[in-house]
Amino acid sequence: MRIFNRIVIILLLAGLFVLGVLAVLYSLGVAGYRLAELPLDTFSQDLIRAVRNVETGNLHVLDLGGLLLSALLGLVLLVFELKPPAPHRVRMQQGTYITRRAVENEAIEAVESPEVLQSSVNVEAQRRPGAKVNVKASIRPGEDVGSTQSGVQDRVQRRLSQVGIPVSNLKVRLVESDPRETRARVR
Amino acid sequence: MADDLQLARSVSEAVLAIGGVHSLGTGRYAEAATYGAGEKVRGVVVNPREVRVHIVVSYPLVEPIPALAERIRQRIASRTEDRPTTVVVEDLVKVEQDENL
Repeated sequence: MRIFNRIVIILLLAGLFVLGVLAVLYSLGVAGYRLAELPLDTFSQDLIRAVRNVETGNLHVLDLGGLLLSALLGLVLLVFELKPPAPHRVRMQQGTYITRRAVENEAIEAVESPEVLQSSVNVEAQRRPGAKVNVKASIRPGEDVGSTQSGVQDRVQRRLSQVGIPVSNLKVRLVESDPRETRARVR
Repeated sequence: MADDLQLARSVSEAVLAIGGVHSLGTGRYAEAATYGAGEKVRGVVVNPREVRVHIVVSYPLVEPIPALAERIRQRIASRTEDRPTTVVVEDLVKVEQDENL
């Protein structure tokens, strides 16, 4: 979200810069730009009309929708900006941390089995001790999804608890894939 | 500063002598080290608020990581001058059995 906000701010500032340059060009009459050619009268009249409508409470539905939408968007962006970022490392206990990459490697080793063709693991550190682990594993079409899923879940849970990594949320998603399109083609 | 470097060196030696610690880590987003004049100690960050030790753990584990971290804290407690110790596990490295002997 911080990256998104940064992009928005960059675009906004770039827009303001372009507007500023144009304002200078038009006001000085450089390179054929003339202030008189700009439809400022129409714009200012529309703006005055819109503000007057707001003051009198006589808003058009579209204006009202636009105002509500911008307020809602601003609120959502504000909440995301105020939300503290997720920590980089997984907290195991007070004063002990492990990198997300190390947790990912452990989980990937636990997932490996003949029925799993390939897997990817995403680990998110949380403010409290523990990690949020999302496992995505590919299996052959026709495999027993239920038992494979519970097997993968058990193995990951066991491996991480052996290491001492608390897992607050473990999600395993299985997708059926063509073995010819996965890393482990022949077993 | 020189004291910090000396402390970092002493912590580094003590941590590397602990069973289960494969090596000291170097940091992921920024180099984890204590700097001095023309010298640096990698894997130990000493600052006025804490002593942070970055380690790479040997696998198979001799004990769960929280227990290993506790052992590290106990081992270096006398050297850290009451500063809290943070242990960061950067990786787990598989070691052959005879490498442990």
